[in-house]
Amino acid sequence: MDVSGLIDTREGWVDRRIFWDEAVYQQELDRVFARAWLFVAHESELPNAGDFLTTYMGQDSVIVARHSDGRIRVFTNSCTHRGNRICFADAGHARQFTCNYHGWSFGTDGALLGMHEEAHYAGWLDKPRWGLHNARVETYKGLVFACFDAEAPSLEEYLGDYRWYLDIVLDQTDEGTEFIGGCVRNDFQANWKFGAENFIGDSLHASWTHDSGAKANTFGKPVPDFMPVAPDSFHANANGHGWEGGTDGIGTLGLLGLRRPAIMAYYQQKRADMARRLGELRATRLFGSVVSASVFPNFSYLPGIGTMRVWLPKGPRRIELRAWTIVNRDMPDAVRDAIRDACMETFSPSGVFEMDDGENWENATRANEGVVTRRQRLHYGLRVGTSRRDDPDLPGNIARPMYSDVNQLAFYQRWLDFMTAPSWRDIPRVR
Amino acid sequence: MLIDSSNDAALWFAVQRLYAAEARYLDEEDYERWFALLTEDLEYWMPTRETRFRRDEAPPDPQRMNFYRETLESLRMRASRLATGTAWSENPRTRYRHLITNVEVFPAGGELRTLSNFIVYRHRLEREEAWLVGRREDTLRTLDGELRIARRTVLLDQTVLRSKNLNVYL
Repeated sequence: MDVSGLIDTREGWVDRRIFWDEAVYQQELDRVFARAWLFVAHESELPNAGDFLTTYMGQDSVIVARHSDGRIRVFTNSCTHRGNRICFADAGHARQFTCNYHGWSFGTDGALLGMHEEAHYAGWLDKPRWGLHNARVETYKGLVFACFDAEAPSLEEYLGDYRWYLDIVLDQTDEGTEFIGGCVRNDFQANWKFGAENFIGDSLHASWTHDSGAKANTFGKPVPDFMPVAPDSFHANANGHGWEGGTDGIGTLGLLGLRRPAIMAYYQQKRADMARRLGELRATRLFGSVVSASVFPNFSYLPGIGTMRVWLPKGPRRIELRAWTIVNRDMPDAVRDAIRDACMETFSPSGVFEMDDGENWENATRANEGVVTRRQRLHYGLRVGTSRRDDPDLPGNIARPMYSDVNQLAFYQRWLDFMTAPSWRDIPRVR
Repeated sequence: MLIDSSNDAALWFAVQRLYAAEARYLDEEDYERWFALLTEDLEYWMPTRETRFRRDEAPPDPQRMNFYRETLESLRMRASRLATGTAWSENPRTRYRHLITNVEVFPAGGELRTLSNFIVYRHRLEREEAWLVGRREDTLRTLDGELRIARRTVLLDQTVLRSKNLNVYL
């Protein structure tokens, strides 16, 4: 379907249909999720050959495995014989994956190895042609992404200028990052874009939606006390990926440090090293501020808090959220524990901030469906058209201050790019 | 009350009475009275559950991700959210119903270890519903003659929490 009339990024409005319409959703699976680079894992989840986990690219179930050659492979979790799901575990260790139905067996690279009663297949099956469908796999500083589209540019080009922002989290130390083991998963009866657009630029909701969580978590301080909307706070976006936040360098660390001083102490000791790697601006002014961020289409994170998450689409009205906590490998155990617990206490299903988000997204998804309601456009016009690409300090498209719809509209512009293009050749490489 | 391991029925009755009162306090959001049932050094932990092949199974690990890893202080922090008046997702209020069953009591070195099953029903607005089912493993202690909860591990049976949030204690 032609979705070009559903969003106007110049006037700043969005048609409510994008949040519940089944045809729009099916087109998203085909044109967004089957084309984009999608986050599937952190390398630290698969330290050894044979380690695997299962996840989803769009609604396609995939196995992510470290093969005997040391490389991580991503392939569809569906047998090439009758299509049955092959692997039912969230994670584990395996030499091969064997289908329960007829015993077809596949390697940790997806190759078809053999099957039950194989002798009967002599002359009837060309094994090398019937392996599991492999996605392209590339990593960026520990994060593993996969892509089903052969025409897509490299992951580096896909991220483009946005790598400068990702590095603030991924490149603080020589030793790099890892995930705390395990993953928190929960369902929202909401459209996946509400999660992505909230994290890419909606600092405005924080001081209203999360008033109670902030006051509880900080002995009574409202959000603006640690998230000042200063004139130089900003929205930055590149290729549909976004970062929004302040430049005070202390808001998030102060929030976590109030109840867990070990986190603050670690960063105080680390910041000189970080500044040598990342420069003063990124190490001491951007990191540590209240920041939220998303990589197009459905990967979001909060620098400092440590949450990294994917909004897995499960139909137009359902999300499965999978959330991890990222830490530096060189962190002492006490700091890792403190960050894990602070992250869970703030941004997880039981987190005092996050528990108010789902209520909004679920009820927005539902209310947008009303037959008359749906004819009324939604306002996304705050500071529309104010971003500039020529900032002397910050790469990408920059708008100030951060109470703004600029990043949300950049996300929806990228969504339009994908949804209206017949192929990757028609998608602008730089936005 | 003294923990007298020779009187099985009395122990079981005392634990049942504790859990019934606790369930009522939690249903009614009467957190101050709930806190009075907990010890100062409370350890309250609810790990996430993972689906693994039997050969890869491992017990829940406190180093890994969790839904709750609380102290009495952090539970008080959480409860203070309700008092701000801006806990939007609790207004109108959620209805809770805690059903605690299959209670088993094992005296252990002056303390009690207990196992219990729970079904917690949540209802919100017009027809939002959530069911939480699982097992609790507690350590109980006698303090000033009353049974108190000193440690609790909550094992939810769901891999994916089928709910937008977890604003309830189990």
